[in-house]
Amino acid sequence: MQNKDLNILQQFNILYLEDDENLLKHTKDVLEDFVNNIYAVKTSKDALDVLLNKKVDIIISDILLENENGIDFLKHIKEKNINIPTILTTAHTDTKYLLDAIKLKVENYIVKPINIKELLNTLHDVLLPIVQQKEIQKNTNVIKTISAITDSKQVDIVKFIINNLDNENQFTASYSDIMDEVSISKPTLIKLFKELAEKNILIKVQHKTYRFNETALDNL
Amino acid sequence: MVNKLKQIIAYFDNLSFKYKTSFLVFIIAGGMICIVILSQVSTFTIKQDFDVLFDKRTKSLIKLEHIKDTYNVNIQDTLKDLETEEITLEQASDVLLLAQQLINKNWSSYKVESSDERSRFYIISLIKKFFINEETFHENKILKQNIIKNIDKKMYKIKNYLNYMIKNKIDYDYANLNLEINAISIYITSLINYDLSLAINEKRNTQKIFNIIMFFSIISIVLVFLFSIVLSVYIINNFKKLHNSLEQKVEEKTKELTELNAYLEIKISKEVSQNRKKDIIMFQQARLASLGEMLNNIAHQWRQPLGSITMIVQSFQTKMLMGKLTDQFVDEKVHDALLLADNMSTTLDDFKNFFSPDKAKSKFQIRNCLEHSIELSKYLLEKENIIVKLEIKEDIELNTYYNELSHVFLNIISNSKDALCSTSPKDDRIIKIIVNKYKDKAVVNMLDNGGGIKEDIIPKIFEPYYTTKYKSAGTGIGLYMSKQIIEKHMEGAISYKNIVHKIKEDDTNYKCSLFTIKIPIYKKEAVNAK
Repeated sequence: MQNKDLNILQQFNILYLEDDENLLKHTKDVLEDFVNNIYAVKTSKDALDVLLNKKVDIIISDILLENENGIDFLKHIKEKNINIPTILTTAHTDTKYLLDAIKLKVENYIVKPINIKELLNTLHDVLLPIVQQKEIQKNTNVIKTISAITDSKQVDIVKFIINNLDNENQFTASYSDIMDEVSISKPTLIKLFKELAEKNILIKVQHKTYRFNETALDNL
Repeated sequence: MVNKLKQIIAYFDNLSFKYKTSFLVFIIAGGMICIVILSQVSTFTIKQDFDVLFDKRTKSLIKLEHIKDTYNVNIQDTLKDLETEEITLEQASDVLLLAQQLINKNWSSYKVESSDERSRFYIISLIKKFFINEETFHENKILKQNIIKNIDKKMYKIKNYLNYMIKNKIDYDYANLNLEINAISIYITSLINYDLSLAINEKRNTQKIFNIIMFFSIISIVLVFLFSIVLSVYIINNFKKLHNSLEQKVEEKTKELTELNAYLEIKISKEVSQNRKKDIIMFQQARLASLGEMLNNIAHQWRQPLGSITMIVQSFQTKMLMGKLTDQFVDEKVHDALLLADNMSTTLDDFKNFFSPDKAKSKFQIRNCLEHSIELSKYLLEKENIIVKLEIKEDIELNTYYNELSHVFLNIISNSKDALCSTSPKDDRIIKIIVNKYKDKAVVNMLDNGGGIKEDIIPKIFEPYYTTKYKSAGTGIGLYMSKQIIEKHMEGAISYKNIVHKIKEDDTNYKCSLFTIKIPIYKKEAVNAK
């Protein structure tokens, strides 16, 4: 719990489907501290209701429900083109549903009794890509916004350099090579390289070869 | 000779019993026939000889005597009277003529008789021919002829004398005539003597024949007797041998039988003990099987509250971490946890009671037992979506083994469950239990719409180790155990049949299986129940 940033869970809504009222209540009591919203429901009908009306980021569902089956519920919502990551909880003996679960591309499978750390970690693991996706989207947006308001040519050069880095973060090209790719005047190009070298971002290793120094970015 | 005899005896000894007996019968019968024939023959011979002796000898002798008498009395006396002149010549001649006629008649008949050779019986002549040297030395035919000739001569002389005397009516030489008559008397006497000696001779012969016949009959009697005795001894020996061998055989067989009996007894006791062991093992297996099922039930019934309690325990940690651990929260969670723990404890008690072996009978309502059984199998029934309908038309108090009866109900419910799972759709699984009272018996009908059991395996369902279920799914002793419990422990009956029944309230007919359990209600209890 300590080595994972569980705070990322704070922004998500969880749908929790469990037929045992006691467990539903107590698990809800625990989880609600970590997440934005937890919708705790007892039947698939209620669950579907929540799915249609609320924003749900992840589903936690028991397999054996009263008179129904969590797997069937998942199949049903997949058919409706609702693709929400799912964690299944189940009693140890119900491993026969495992194959179905894998076919439905269920994210994880937790055996009861539920270990809350395991559940939270799983939630974290499942939700982290979503968080990261959001982060990337954010950064892209930042770059795009910056390039819109500054000299777009320089941004293009930086993009070119970063895109052409090899495995050792090294970049090999002559000015003319760059100028063939990006329409830029040679004085501007030289000025840009000089500026990057001064800030220790691009270090000349040998002729026409530069090393991109990532650590220098943090010191800016 | 001795060897041959021995051989014959040995041969006879080796003959079968049947032949020996027929031989004995043959010998006895043959001997009897011999004796009878011999006695008959001897009787006839004696009679014959007697007749011959009488007729031939005695009669002729009498005739000769008559002649002699006639000469002596009639003729001599008449002549004497004539001599003394007591009678006249006329009178005398009449008497003399009459006497002569008599003499002639007797004499001629004697001659005829003596020359008449009587034919004898063939057998007697045979016997005489072979066995007797007839003493013929007395018989001298020439002598006889001579005597007869002399007598004829003398007779003629006397006749002539007499006739001459009568014709001439003169007194002849009486002395000479007397002499002649005396001479003829002597001749006749000698003839009589001769005939007598012949008669004696013949008598002797008869005696001899009689003796020989007697001898033969005695010999044959003795032989028959001897043979009979010897054969009887043989047969008795045979009997003895047979008896002995039979006795020996019987003894041997008895010994064999005794041994077999002892062996069988050992085997039976072994088998019985093995059977008992087997039964015990089966009871244990059945118990273990239901124990496993119950454990499964307990496990499930425990799983949920255990999950909740686990969550509660962890919630303290997370709340603590989040700094949200309030008194109110702790109170609430502890209260919930205790409730859950209590629930778990109750569940345990339920099952503990179920497994506690109740050796003693107890009084209970059949409804309670059924409801408890359904409760215990509730988890499995709910899991398989099976609806149980309990219909009690008359609640009955029983006095029997509660847990064993509960086992039986659980077994049948479990069977129905398996049948329903494999045949019926999930939304159409019903077990119906009807309790009724018939006469002095409690009748529990347990139905399910699982389609029933195939007709060809119905007779086998109560057999031990018979199962249609795949490998570990069934041990095959549930129904066998149920039958044992109901029939042996409760003196009731359990039976099965396939029926068609409207198990739901609607008009749909279902193929159903029906187990009928009949448990006797004891009258005392029945009275108490009222």
